[in-house]
Amino acid sequence: MENRKVEPLRERRAEARPHKPDGESAERENVQLQLGPLEERVSMPGAAEPDGAGRPTREESEEPAAEAAGLRLKFPGAPDLLFRDLSLKIRRGEKVLLLGPSGCGKSTLLQVLGGIIPRVTEVPLKAERLKVPESAGIVFQDPDTQFCMPYVDEELAFVLENLAVPREEMMPRIEAALLQVGLNLPDPHVPIGSLSQGMKQRLALASALLLEPDTLLLDEPSALLDPEGRRTIWEAVRRVCERRTVIIVEHRIEEVLDWVDRVVLFRDDGSIMADGSAAAIFGRYRAELRQYGIWYPEAWDDAYGRGISGKGLDGAAPEQRITARAVLPAQESGEVSEPLLRLENFRVLRGGKVVCAVESAAVMPGDLIALTGPNGAGKSSLLLGLMGLLPREGECRYGADAPVGRREVRETAAKRAAFVFQNPEFQFVTNRVLDEVAFTLRGEAEAARNAGRRSVLARLGLPRRRTKPGSGAEAGIALRADECLNRFGLGDYADRHPYLLSLGQKRRLSVASAVVSDKPLLLLDEPTFGQDARNAFAMLDLCEELRASGHAVLMITHENEIAERLATQVWRVEGGRLVSAESTGRPRASRVRLAEGGEA
Amino acid sequence: MKRFFEPSRRTWLHRANPAVKLALFVLLFVVTMLTHRIDASFYLACVFLLLLFAASGYPIWKTALLASGFALAFASASLTMILFGKGSEIWWSFGPVAISKESFYRGLHLGFRSIAFGCQGLLFVLTTSSTGLFYALMQRLKLSPKYAYSFMASLRLMPMALEELRIRRDALAVRGSGSGSRAGALLRLPERYALPLLAQSIRRAQRTAAAMEVKRFDAGSRRTYYYSSPVTRSDAAALLLLAGATAAALLLAQALPVFNLGDMRMVP
Amino acid sequence: MSTQVSGAASRRRGLTLTDVLVTVVVSLVLGVVYHLWASVSSVAGLLFVQSDELVYGMWFAASTLAFLLIRKPGVALVAEIAAAHLEIAFGSAYGIQLLLYSVVQGLAAELVFAAFRYRKANAFVAGLAGIAAAAASLLADIYYGYVTEYATWLLVYKYSLRAIGSFVIAGYLMYGLAKLLEKAGVTQSLRPVDRKEYDALDG
Repeated sequence: MENRKVEPLRERRAEARPHKPDGESAERENVQLQLGPLEERVSMPGAAEPDGAGRPTREESEEPAAEAAGLRLKFPGAPDLLFRDLSLKIRRGEKVLLLGPSGCGKSTLLQVLGGIIPRVTEVPLKAERLKVPESAGIVFQDPDTQFCMPYVDEELAFVLENLAVPREEMMPRIEAALLQVGLNLPDPHVPIGSLSQGMKQRLALASALLLEPDTLLLDEPSALLDPEGRRTIWEAVRRVCERRTVIIVEHRIEEVLDWVDRVVLFRDDGSIMADGSAAAIFGRYRAELRQYGIWYPEAWDDAYGRGISGKGLDGAAPEQRITARAVLPAQESGEVSEPLLRLENFRVLRGGKVVCAVESAAVMPGDLIALTGPNGAGKSSLLLGLMGLLPREGECRYGADAPVGRREVRETAAKRAAFVFQNPEFQFVTNRVLDEVAFTLRGEAEAARNAGRRSVLARLGLPRRRTKPGSGAEAGIALRADECLNRFGLGDYADRHPYLLSLGQKRRLSVASAVVSDKPLLLLDEPTFGQDARNAFAMLDLCEELRASGHAVLMITHENEIAERLATQVWRVEGGRLVSAESTGRPRASRVRLAEGGEA
Repeated sequence: MKRFFEPSRRTWLHRANPAVKLALFVLLFVVTMLTHRIDASFYLACVFLLLLFAASGYPIWKTALLASGFALAFASASLTMILFGKGSEIWWSFGPVAISKESFYRGLHLGFRSIAFGCQGLLFVLTTSSTGLFYALMQRLKLSPKYAYSFMASLRLMPMALEELRIRRDALAVRGSGSGSRAGALLRLPERYALPLLAQSIRRAQRTAAAMEVKRFDAGSRRTYYYSSPVTRSDAAALLLLAGATAAALLLAQALPVFNLGDMRMVP
Repeated sequence: MSTQVSGAASRRRGLTLTDVLVTVVVSLVLGVVYHLWASVSSVAGLLFVQSDELVYGMWFAASTLAFLLIRKPGVALVAEIAAAHLEIAFGSAYGIQLLLYSVVQGLAAELVFAAFRYRKANAFVAGLAGIAAAAASLLADIYYGYVTEYATWLLVYKYSLRAIGSFVIAGYLMYGLAKLLEKAGVTQSLRPVDRKEYDALDG
């Protein structure tokens, strides 16, 4: 930014906000609207702060830690501005939590306040005033994309190199930073790849601390962590945040709530709805928090009632959810139906070693099974084994079929079970949302036409032979696909590229394209992971709905609430073995509550 | 991957400064490239193969595993020349194939040379850590840190890309095959795999770059280095070792020629 | 805020860290996919004499794709070197010469893009860059593999295949891939932002 020159620009009136000033705006606290003609300027660290008179924000003599006034920002190609004259001032030492629905721009704002936009990432923006902290440390969401070096000590040294710290001072500083975040490594020369995700986030925090930042910006640092990782990263943050300004974006607020000074609540359109103390916000905006998918402490109670095992379902807020009845006849009369999946002495192998062993277990129609256990215990391997994607031994029956041989196993599994990977993008094979669903239907139609035959290409997921479906069949497929999209709340996105959907929508699309062909068993790998509450509940409602129509759902999850409130069985995998498979007492058939449809 | 590329013992070559070593190996490459006599290339291949096993610091089985790739390199360098090369003294011909004495020995010569190149390259890789190399290039040869850290980061991203390749393969197996011809499928394969992998990796690269910039990575300003990269006596030792090996090969070619043929090119 | 516009633009004229890192991972991914593909295509038995020359263009694909995505001077060269670096680092049997090949090939591709003043980013220009890289590889092969000593018909045949393959793969195939990435919304953030996007701020 060397050749930055501050030039006077044409005067501009800050327009009124796009939404009508209704009753809501009366509740707005502390939101400073800047009105009147202003000279536009930016202030960045190091730049001399031009002195202006009559500026309304001047009433506070203290220099803020970060500030944006009259911020306008638009992503290239986006139809609308993300921010239209947004103003926010963060005082020194303040701990601020930014809350809002997915896509409202909180993370973008954090990146603006942290100086990433536009310095590193070019995004068109302008502001009347923009002040970023003198020194900011940032921790991002994804534990795998914050490091450039292979070893812990090298990564931390990278920061010190950037600051031109002499070599002999590096080691003591590295050790001190690791200690601060509670990473007690006897020797810091450890491959980063060997750390857990939670430890990686603490490493990211340590490297932010080496910058000796006056402001710490945290962009959903715990969203991709399991409960243990979540706990430790917030513990570490609390330890180091004293005397620092902290700005947090987070959907899960349990661990944050009791120590932030201030909560800023955003609307869908990127404007500020409310700004105040945590208590004030939570007192007044509970409905909004819920609607926005914030994981506030009682989110589960509000969604599924206070009871356990389905009893409390009646307590679920009725105005939010439609109640429907779709109980399977077979299940009304008790539990006499055939298991969808039965495992006896079943073992999944990887590189010749048993990675998951199951003595005996069964999945019945109407089951929702929570597959729990520590990371690396063999949960994912079990699912891959059930799909025939890993070698396996022992008995595994899909309904009445007990396929033998790799190819037969795979084909039977693909017919009976649908598998949704953790990252849905890897499952997309077309460039249009509708085609994703149609693809499954076409494949099904084709499989019906020519059963069998095997080739190298088929193993790689490639077609073996051309078949041309009739135009009548095509029309039927399009119709069914459309119907399916509507059912999953994706009807409006039929023509979009699957990659352009939000994470919640992508997950729904991959479930949609899996269940459209009526496979009775659905295998999910952490379907609510990294999601906001709205999308997580939408996904779970979907599972409930499928379950009630005779499907069974087997999902890997770290979320205790799912196991406690929704599951009919809890399978626990530890050290490569299914150590327990217990029924929770929740009935297999239950009343369906239709999804309210995630983010619209 | 990383575990595999870890030497079990350290030799002189490991201790040499990577930048100096790179210069030495490039020089060695040029010398080998300027070798046009089959005896010289034969002895160069032999000597560097020996040196590879002796000085790489890896167990023999690992070195042998990596060196097995030379067979293919040998074949690809020599076969075409043997079968289709120019030559006057025809030994055997069939259709377009014409094996002549000249083309046969020229082919062998190319094969030996490719083994010599391969040994030299592998010797360099096995005795040099990437991190060490880029630190040396930054400090000794003023390579811009922007490139050095990007290249180092790419090594970290490699296993992730391989893991994603595996996931994509499984996912495609789950999704089924769709329709299309077999040849069409083969042509579509790069797209099917490249698109999701590229999308993931590009986003990951952008995020990584942003994280690095936030840590004040500014290519313009002064920086210090965690690892120093001094030029030491080991560099002299490495120089002597490599020069000695080359000289030995060339002298052996003079003293004990196996093929005793002149320049391998028809038009030198 | 024209102050910010000019600040951002001046910073972005050369290759940024993001540009370099993205270029490097593009090479990486194409390399990984290429190896998978090579193994499958040999299993599928698609081999005839010198047929591997047809896919030689994969070696230049990274440089044209990186250019099609980022559209800045230098990326084609960096992409080539990055591809060679990864091959070497993971124990290729071909060693240092990969590095030298990558430099000449990358420079050749770079020259073509430069001839169009880095303004044209279509399939044809990318294809030309592929051909230029193929020509550069011929130059290197003359020293490295004595290819001028091949029977003349073979020399012509081999390098015609290579040039055709390069034109198609580095040109049209990579252009198609770049278009797909564009549709998937991946490329947006890689390219310099259009002036009119800034004007839209006043809307």
